Amino acid sequence: MDLENQKRVKEIADQFGPENVIVVLGAAEGEAAGLAAETVTAGDPTYAGPLAGVSLGLLVYHICEPEIKEEVDAGIYDEQVSMMEMVLDVDDIIAEMTAIREQYTKY
Amino acid sequence: MNNSVLKGTGYVLVHVPGMLMHHGTTQTTERSVNPDSDYLKELPGHIRSYEDCLAYPPNQTYIGNLSIEALSAIEEPWFDKKVETPSRFGPFGEVMPEDEFAVLMQICDAFDLVHLDRGFVRNVKPKLEAHPLITASMHALIKEGQDSELIRKQVEREHAQPIIVGDQLVGYVKRAHDVDVNLSAHVIFENLVSKASEVLTILHLLKQSGLDPADVDYVIDCSEEACGDMNQRGGGNFAKAAAEIAGLLNATGSDTRAFCAGPAHAVVEAASLVKSGAFKNVIVAGGGCTAKLGMNGKDHVRKGLPILEDCLGGFAALISENDGINPEINLDIIGRHTVGTGSSPQAVIESLVTNPLTAAGMKITDVDKYSPEMQNPDITKPAGAGDVPEANYKMIAALGVKLGQLERAELPAFVKKHGLRGFAPTQGHIPSGVPYLGFARESMLAGRTENAMIIGKGSLFLGRMTNQFDGISFFMQKNTRKESPSAVAAPALITDLPVIGVAVPDSESGTEMIRSAVDSARKKGYQAFLIEGDDCLDRMEEMLKSGEIDAAVAAHYAFPVGVATVGRIQTPALGREMFLATTTGTSATDRTEAMVRNAIAGIIAAKTCGIAEPTVGIANVEGGRQCGRILQTLSEKGYSIRFAESERADGGVLMRGNDLLRGSADVMVMDTLTGNLMMKMLSAFTTGGGIESVGYGYGPGIGERYDKRILIVSRASGAAVIANAVDYAAQTVKGDLLTIARQEFIKANKAGLQTLIDEVKQRSQKAAVPKTAAPPKETCTEEIHGIEVTELDEAVEALWSEGIYAESGMGCTGPVLMLNHARIEQATRILRDQGYVR
Repeated sequence: MDLENQKRVKEIADQFGPENVIVVLGAAEGEAAGLAAETVTAGDPTYAGPLAGVSLGLLVYHICEPEIKEEVDAGIYDEQVSMMEMVLDVDDIIAEMTAIREQYTKY
Repeated sequence: MNNSVLKGTGYVLVHVPGMLMHHGTTQTTERSVNPDSDYLKELPGHIRSYEDCLAYPPNQTYIGNLSIEALSAIEEPWFDKKVETPSRFGPFGEVMPEDEFAVLMQICDAFDLVHLDRGFVRNVKPKLEAHPLITASMHALIKEGQDSELIRKQVEREHAQPIIVGDQLVGYVKRAHDVDVNLSAHVIFENLVSKASEVLTILHLLKQSGLDPADVDYVIDCSEEACGDMNQRGGGNFAKAAAEIAGLLNATGSDTRAFCAGPAHAVVEAASLVKSGAFKNVIVAGGGCTAKLGMNGKDHVRKGLPILEDCLGGFAALISENDGINPEINLDIIGRHTVGTGSSPQAVIESLVTNPLTAAGMKITDVDKYSPEMQNPDITKPAGAGDVPEANYKMIAALGVKLGQLERAELPAFVKKHGLRGFAPTQGHIPSGVPYLGFARESMLAGRTENAMIIGKGSLFLGRMTNQFDGISFFMQKNTRKESPSAVAAPALITDLPVIGVAVPDSESGTEMIRSAVDSARKKGYQAFLIEGDDCLDRMEEMLKSGEIDAAVAAHYAFPVGVATVGRIQTPALGREMFLATTTGTSATDRTEAMVRNAIAGIIAAKTCGIAEPTVGIANVEGGRQCGRILQTLSEKGYSIRFAESERADGGVLMRGNDLLRGSADVMVMDTLTGNLMMKMLSAFTTGGGIESVGYGYGPGIGERYDKRILIVSRASGAAVIANAVDYAAQTVKGDLLTIARQEFIKANKAGLQTLIDEVKQRSQKAAVPKTAAPPKETCTEEIHGIEVTELDEAVEALWSEGIYAESGMGCTGPVLMLNHARIEQATRILRDQGYVR
């Protein structure tokens, strides 16, 4: 995950409390989604950014996961995301995200 | 109004492992944050040799040696595959090694900031001198170099940036200011790399397009660097800086920036400038970027790959007025990411692809090929960024499904049919849409592809001024002009009946004689007609331009410098046909250069008339021997020439008067005035010097970049000669003079024509002494203002005569005299004493 984004996630978690934060990802494939999810839960696996060694354990989803999709207005989802949903390997993403959540999410 | 056309492209790679190690930001950041890291230890084991980099299939594709189709046929990954016979030079450009590039950087340095090791320069200079495109004026800028001890000191103590080639410190780039970070050694290094690679790419573009450097009107630089000082950090102007070194004397220019989308924006700007009529020839160009070298190096090392981001990339395109041949940029179809678009991928693709197509009444399947971000997947996949072009194609297809233009099941087939494999280095602006322009042009010229959409995208948020995304797309199509009824056929389509116009104002024998000459040509089966009136030459030019006539026979017509005519005659002694090269016009202003170029023009004319390997003799006139030596060297270096032998007892390539009468050579080379004299004498001797009754006239104008078929007769030419000139003109069409000329000059240039000529010229220039010789050149950083512009050059000479080096120039507020800061007081005093300043 981009170092600047790591910094922002950490600041938001500090400000509002990690239990009140959900991270929504838009990564284009499973591995990248998994890495970003790992960063905001277990910590930065590349040990390069502000979240290196910091296990925030945040709740994290990908925008194409059903839990989030159901929360979004169907018209807006169609306008903004449906094209990518067609392109992405959504099952793979869900599998990656679920695994990370089960292992590292604290909330 | 006519669309502009894409007349040529240039693509260059520079293999720079030294810069990768010492200037790529991934590596420099690691070195400062984590100097003992495993990555830095493992890095040297993952560096490719120049040979491996050259044989890497996507690199051969980038310079045009391996088609995209052939690349796609090679199974991925590609890093462990090699092209069997890789070549440094390709139809679009080259892969330059790092040592030559270091010297090119020094050539491109105008402020004495780059210094190289003396021994290194000695070794590498000859390589650049042998380079087919580096000009003599560029060679002249190569400095001798410094001692290695001084170089080490500069790097260790004076904040200079090292230039490292093959583990050796071979030079440095020093800071241009003690305090200003915008002129730090680091920034100057990056900017000079960008400038030098841009220059190289422009040189390749000029070679490929055949455009005279003097005909370039405007240059738009679209790289990702910024040059300026602390008072104007991105002041510019890379475009003009590169244009200067590339010798584009009549060009101005400016820089366009839009992150990776820069080149696509710049092409749209260039196409608009040309279509509006503001400029005729606009070059878009971008040099490479050191910071991005080895950007994904950590992933490549972790996965056991060589570091694939070891090349700088350069790109250039020439946008010109519609010539009825080259593919057009259709400005009616421009996709744009606007402020209101938003940044979701769906909104981005809609704005760039489907919205402009829908507005033009087209479907996504109406576009033959899409060229979005063309990153090489070999580089991006191991770094977790996937196959970028493929992801783009899937998005375009998915949007097509949403719009009902495509069935979902057709999605993979769409990607295969309308997509391209990525092959571009990840140099930011380089992969964004434009890598396909070269192949697109070739494919459209050959009729294999009808159209293409080029899509540039950029991430503006990186600059922290806006969170927006950006992008612009444009539409390229096969030239549409030839399909209209009044259209011009491309030269290749002309078959057996060329149309020849005859325009001979003020003939000494009257219009009737010309008319009978045209009639007699018609009787022989030629399509010829007379262009009459006082403005017949103007109308002849218009007819040539519109394609109404294929070639013309004219009298009293002036060619530009660089073009001379090759006459054709029957020799009196044996009635052999002989080409006199040349008879009118000026192929060059330097006598020796002119004769060498005359020889090539003669060979071109002879080949056009069906003599596959003409023999070449050189008239024994002043400069003949020198011309002969150059032609012999040229022949040894690959431009094969069959030399004639004098029929006199002592033989040799130099031809005497006897040989002229006998026609001992197919092509007789001489200076133009002598050629003109011989032509008149050999054409008019049977009439006692009256009208010219023998031969084919003074022949077609031929020059390196000349693209018309105009043949010259004189006002004294008789009907038989004019009828023969029509025959000769028809032969220039059937024999495809223009293609042969282009090919011959390319071959001659490959063999080093320009270098050989420049050497001779340099020698003759050295012989001429200026009024006051300039003292040794010094770095000019100071300016003196207030000198009258008409006295500026005098003032410069006044300082020279006092031993002070100075240059004249034009500053923001008027004329300036530039000189070294140590000289300013003394110079001001001298100028004041002599009344140049108050």
